Amino acid sequence: MTESSLGLETLQEVTLIANSTLDLDETLEKIIQVIANKMHIDACAIYLVNESDGLLHLKAAKGLPEKARHINLQIGQGVTGWVAQHGTSLALSEAMQDPRFVYFPEIEEEKFNSMLSVPIPADCPTLGVINVHSIPRRMFSLEETRVLETIAGQVTGCLRNAIQFHQNQMTLKEIQILYDISLAVQSTLKLEHGLWIILSAITMGEAGGFNRAMLFTLGEKNQQLQGIMGLGPDSHEDAVRIWTELDKKKGNLLQWVINEAQRDLHRDSQFHNFVCGLNYSVIPNDNILSETVLQKKPFNITKAREHPLVSQEFADALGVDSFATVPLIAHEEVLGVILVDNRYDQKPITEENLRFLARFTVYASWVIENSRLFSKLLDTNRELLSMKEQLVQAERLSALGEMAAEVAHEIKNPLVSIGGFARRLKDKMADLSQKWGDNEDLKSAANYSDIISGEVERLERLLKNTLIYSKSGAIETEECQLNKLVEEVLYLFKAGLYEKNINLITSLEADLPLLNLDQQKIKQVLINLFYNALESLTLGGLLKVETFQEDYAQKQKMITVRVEDSGGGVPQEVFENIFNPFFTTKHTGTGLGLSICRKIIENHGGTIRVENQLGKGVTVYLHLPLQNSPDYYKN
Amino acid sequence: MKTILVVDDEQNIRFLYKEELEDDGYQVTVASNGEETFKILDKQIPDLIILDIKMPGMDGIEVMRKIKDEKGDIPIILCSAYGQYKQDFRVWASDAYVVKSADLRELKLTIKEIFNRPKVNGPGQNDPSNY
Repeated sequence: MTESSLGLETLQEVTLIANSTLDLDETLEKIIQVIANKMHIDACAIYLVNESDGLLHLKAAKGLPEKARHINLQIGQGVTGWVAQHGTSLALSEAMQDPRFVYFPEIEEEKFNSMLSVPIPADCPTLGVINVHSIPRRMFSLEETRVLETIAGQVTGCLRNAIQFHQNQMTLKEIQILYDISLAVQSTLKLEHGLWIILSAITMGEAGGFNRAMLFTLGEKNQQLQGIMGLGPDSHEDAVRIWTELDKKKGNLLQWVINEAQRDLHRDSQFHNFVCGLNYSVIPNDNILSETVLQKKPFNITKAREHPLVSQEFADALGVDSFATVPLIAHEEVLGVILVDNRYDQKPITEENLRFLARFTVYASWVIENSRLFSKLLDTNRELLSMKEQLVQAERLSALGEMAAEVAHEIKNPLVSIGGFARRLKDKMADLSQKWGDNEDLKSAANYSDIISGEVERLERLLKNTLIYSKSGAIETEECQLNKLVEEVLYLFKAGLYEKNINLITSLEADLPLLNLDQQKIKQVLINLFYNALESLTLGGLLKVETFQEDYAQKQKMITVRVEDSGGGVPQEVFENIFNPFFTTKHTGTGLGLSICRKIIENHGGTIRVENQLGKGVTVYLHLPLQNSPDYYKN
Repeated sequence: MKTILVVDDEQNIRFLYKEELEDDGYQVTVASNGEETFKILDKQIPDLIILDIKMPGMDGIEVMRKIKDEKGDIPIILCSAYGQYKQDFRVWASDAYVVKSADLRELKLTIKEIFNRPKVNGPGQNDPSNY
């Protein structure tokens, strides 16, 4: 066989092998076989640089003693090390005579006279070395060197494939874990369980792999970071125990996590209780947790005790010098912070670790946001429901009262005429009797008109008393800020607005004077107005709420609340009836509640006005008086 | 002679007020709704207006606002069948509020009281810039 045909044939076989399997060890074994068979040599070995210790490890060999398997060479050490370092092939007929030669008893190199050593090429020095040894002393030809170098090039390709494959495997595994976790999280509606599952994932060896994880949530109102959960071993011994246990649970991660979440055992841990005792205000340039919230980005702290944003106290409490923080963000709003460390194995936190953590925080944010929205929805619904019930009650009563008032009104005007003319009649009789002198008929007629006006007076009194009695809705007022009430009520609707994709625009005039209001009743009115607006905004849209001060009839000062929606308005026949207490467009419940709103506002001396623009929306104005009624209007 | 405009949608009430007030020596004109009121006001500004609140179309409170905005600070007495509007702050822009009754003494007293009030702006001035 000629040397050139040797080259071609060998390369062809190696290429076939390289493409036949993705398992690196198997590939290397097969390549060794080909080299051993095709080249006239007695031993062959492939060394690869190990990523973690940087040494050359023997990965595959033929013709070498078994004990050679465990050999690790330093780069630069011996002929092999030299080739790895310089990336240049060496062909030595008298290997042991070479100054670079270092004797390794494991290889039993004394029996080999000649060797050819070629680097496995890469951009960075080398990935490894391929050696072939020959017992008889011989010169390796240039051709042979080129063939082996080409094979080494093939090995580089195989290695790259293998690394790629490994990375893909890792990504797949990560996706699997994320999927498992998301399933597990969906298995529970309880915030605590969901968070526990996520912290478990962060600390589980297979997934996040951090020793400990702490979770802080940001109070929506007080801007305080409150520790709510800590997951991790209480001590080094505990750590070892837990990790051993976890090792046994491999493969059944999902089920185990779900079961464990139900047990609430984490509450007993010292670490959890330690975390629950932590509370920090969010202040710029004060502490690392605040900074994570404010800058909305993760921090990887390596020298905690030297870091300006880490207090000595905090570092001592954690007991570590390295940790990382990640913000929990949903809808661009920071919900909290997760802090992780490796207290027990002291492993440095890599960028890859952090990336993985960031992915988990998405779930944590999601769980917290869901739970917040859910509980807010529950609260809001409860409050709205009770308000609504009160309104319905009041409305029923008011409907009766309104009817009575309507009837009384219709009677009153004729009574005024009857009584008024009866009095005039009596006066005329008196004039006549002066003119004509005493007359029995005139006297009787005057008496009759007396009776009429007397009875009318009686009816007037009766009606007045009836109306006072039926006048419902006495108000208890106190001085308060209208804007505060508006904001409080809008807060109740936050979840509902978000859910319905309604854009809220508020414009509340600053420094409005205080008003004397029945806060509970005004809240009812606002709830009713917002509720009606929301009902009309089924497809989302705009809700505009404004408050401002203005003049009425150039005499009175008043404060106006303006509520505008883009819900398309109401049909004219509906609009004409909106203040009618018996009128409703809904299948359940009574009217829109506007009649009772009007009553409440009127009891405050105010007035309510509704504008309807078909195709656009409804605008409601509440006008509330600023000054008290003039003295001459007081009863 | 003081002039009074009575606005009420009930014909008999207009009649009653006119008779009674003329007997007391006032010159009385009547209108049955807001529209008529402004037709009259375009020709002549009275010294006092008695306005019923509950009327079809523009109610008395609205008529009052329009008068105060457009015709100046003519004294206005608002009337209603019951006292339910006493708490309505818009009513406070009027000069008095009287609950209707077959007994007209309260109304008459109020009229006298208004005519005797010290005049900040003379009644009948129809220039809003006087405010």
